[in-house]
Amino acid sequence: MSAMDPTEIFRQEASELFEVLEGALLDLGQRPDDRELVDSAFRALHTIKGSGAMFGFDKVASFTHEFETAFDRVRKGEIKPTQELISVALAAKDYIRALIEDPQSTDDVIGEAILDDLKRFVSFDQPAAAVVEIAEAPPLAPGGSKQASWHLYLEFESHILRNGSNPLDLLEDLCKLGPCFVVPVTDGIPFLDEMEPEDCYLKWDVKLHAACDKDAIDDVFMFVQDELKLTLSPLEHVEAPAPAPLFQLLDEEPAPMAEMPAPPVELPAAPVAEQPVVKTEPKSRPEPKPEAKREERGIATVRVQAERLDELMDRVGELVIAQARLTQLAASGSDLSIKMIAEEIERLASSLRDTTMGARMVPIGSLFGRFRRLVHDLSRDLSKPVEFVTSGEDTELDKTMIECLADPLVHLIRNAIDHGIEDNATRAANGKTEQGRIELAAVHSGAQVLVTVKDNGGGLNTARIRAKAEEQGLIAAGAVLTDHEIHQFLFHPGFSTAQTISALSGRGVGMDVVKRTIENMRGSIDLSTRPGQGTTVTLRLPLTLAIIEGLLIRVGEGRYIIPLPAVEECVELTAEDERSRGRNFLNVRGNLVPFLRLREIMSSSGSPDKHQKTIIISTGETRVGLVADQIIGNHQTVIKSLSKLHSDVTIFSGATILGDGTAALILDVAQLVAMAQSKVEKQHISEAA
Amino acid sequence: MDGNLAGEHQSGAMQVVMIGLGEEKFALDAGLVREIIDPVPVTKVAGARAFVPSVINVRGNVIPLADLRIRFGMPQLDNSADTRIVVIELDFDGEPVLVGLTADKVYEVTEIAQTDVQQTPRVGMHWKPEFIRFIAKWREEFVIVPNMERILN
Repeated sequence: MSAMDPTEIFRQEASELFEVLEGALLDLGQRPDDRELVDSAFRALHTIKGSGAMFGFDKVASFTHEFETAFDRVRKGEIKPTQELISVALAAKDYIRALIEDPQSTDDVIGEAILDDLKRFVSFDQPAAAVVEIAEAPPLAPGGSKQASWHLYLEFESHILRNGSNPLDLLEDLCKLGPCFVVPVTDGIPFLDEMEPEDCYLKWDVKLHAACDKDAIDDVFMFVQDELKLTLSPLEHVEAPAPAPLFQLLDEEPAPMAEMPAPPVELPAAPVAEQPVVKTEPKSRPEPKPEAKREERGIATVRVQAERLDELMDRVGELVIAQARLTQLAASGSDLSIKMIAEEIERLASSLRDTTMGARMVPIGSLFGRFRRLVHDLSRDLSKPVEFVTSGEDTELDKTMIECLADPLVHLIRNAIDHGIEDNATRAANGKTEQGRIELAAVHSGAQVLVTVKDNGGGLNTARIRAKAEEQGLIAAGAVLTDHEIHQFLFHPGFSTAQTISALSGRGVGMDVVKRTIENMRGSIDLSTRPGQGTTVTLRLPLTLAIIEGLLIRVGEGRYIIPLPAVEECVELTAEDERSRGRNFLNVRGNLVPFLRLREIMSSSGSPDKHQKTIIISTGETRVGLVADQIIGNHQTVIKSLSKLHSDVTIFSGATILGDGTAALILDVAQLVAMAQSKVEKQHISEAA
Repeated sequence: MDGNLAGEHQSGAMQVVMIGLGEEKFALDAGLVREIIDPVPVTKVAGARAFVPSVINVRGNVIPLADLRIRFGMPQLDNSADTRIVVIELDFDGEPVLVGLTADKVYEVTEIAQTDVQQTPRVGMHWKPEFIRFIAKWREEFVIVPNMERILN
């Protein structure tokens, strides 16, 4: 593994932290009393600041510092995080992100404006709310939270110094709260030859004479809370103020002493000097919390570059092809041992394929998180209060699909808020709750994943869509169409029924892009709507883009793959069906199923096989039979995309390589059926004319 | 394209792969050529444009097989012992695309000197002028340097 650019690592880390920060801020908007959220936002901020400074992003560090300072009063519980404050905090977060990702394009003025806003919110608030907050916050302190003096016993994990945390700095911070009487506990110090120079052996016993609350003390140790055993108890009897010498020692000595490389002397009298300080930078990388969380879950993760996974998938694809050839070769021979090896390799290849595909699977929740911000901003800009509910976050999808899904979902969610959810007055008039509701859900369904965006708005205005379609000349006035057919016009390029173009939607680009993107992923899109009750858009997506199960068929000389999920059943074309040239319908257990002759579509040469087979496929709600010469069997299909030179051919979604090394084309059944339908329509039109 | 050509002019010579299509000789910019392979089984793509009628498998990649003879209105000969597939890499909208070309014969890799380059005559050509980058002289013969991007678009 080649060494990565440290700045790049910082950027990656920061982007994860931004997600944490954003999530926490948005949650805070919903649950303003959740201290845990404030803390997690703060931790993220602090890490960004620390790492930023370390990697030379000075602007980031200084801005984040200001942000942190301003936000500090929220952390202390002195002011409540209002919606306005959250919005400003989000803007500040965006600004930091811009500072990191594209420092050139940012303007200091913007940063200052954001900070001013932030400070205004933070200082204007009356501290009345604060008292309430504090009173409910610390459960530990008996008899009220404010205490005249405290007794602390600090025992750090021995590796604390290696993380770059400096206990002396923490003690110093503690001293700022009030006079401290600090006594080091030295019984943990081993003999010289057993001493690890990078370990911390000292413990501290601290008497703090300050009328501060427990939170203030906790704040000091916030970033080391996982590596610290802190015993905190209020001191009942007030002692005399701490003797000056020790206090001064702590206050003044650390700086010069800290630079000394661990003098391993057993001198209990000079405990501070013994401190083996490795790093003197106090704020280097206080990042224990996320790590600790990962440990809790007990899952070790490795960060792998996405390209490597793609490469791995390619190699596995080639392996599967080579294995298919081996199997074919083995089957044609009579050597039993080769057959055994071929079987063994087939088993290994297929489990390797599954594992590799699994490694590319990412929970869709990572995507859903991004939309919370979108909904928050849109709901504010349009002043439509919207509740955003997500479910099925742990549904896994191929990572490339997750990336492709982002834009379509943005469109759908925008549409749902802008067009779907009615304004307050309309909602009130229809007896609906003031707050609209958008549900984003993902669920597995067989070999597909269904992603739905559901709103409880006004539903589609079928009449208006129809009028618009007529106006644009897409349909003749008075044509008989089902509602479902009318709704399909929404996916027409340049089609928009919005009466005014808003900044968000109404330009008529969007839905057609959504449809195309989804179809490029071999997925489909369904719309269902109930007037006055809302619209549901369902995206049906295959689990993966790389390998599918397919049915290999032969038509004339050519071999083709039909994606197995689309196949319903295979039947033989009876002589009776064969004879009736005029009507291409099959009778499948009493149901009428139209069929297409693939030989005609592929313009195959030669004479057809005697017993033609029909593969019944389903696409959306349509069932269609495809007539082929032979059904060869199941085939692990590694999908290779067709080049741009064949982008005009829609009936094939890609190609694959068969066991004998030839290429076979994968049928796009939806397109095939659509093509056949439009052909029939054209025929009818020409017959009518 | 033209900028590219100017660059080649300055350097004096251009490396080309000389291929034969029917009676004509074409000079392909050697920089485009990735490999030359023996004929492989082709897979017909129904509904594709006539000059890219099929796809082939080249080292695990499915690439289109173009037939320049159709683009230049030449008769299609059956594969002979000399038939080869020349795999070239072209740039379509900023993306590299591999394309196979059927050649009735591949002669050699050679150089065309700057002085050999002739402007495409306005008359006397029965091929679309935009398909031709320029005409060069090679061993007393006129050879066509085709504009592959245009031909395949």
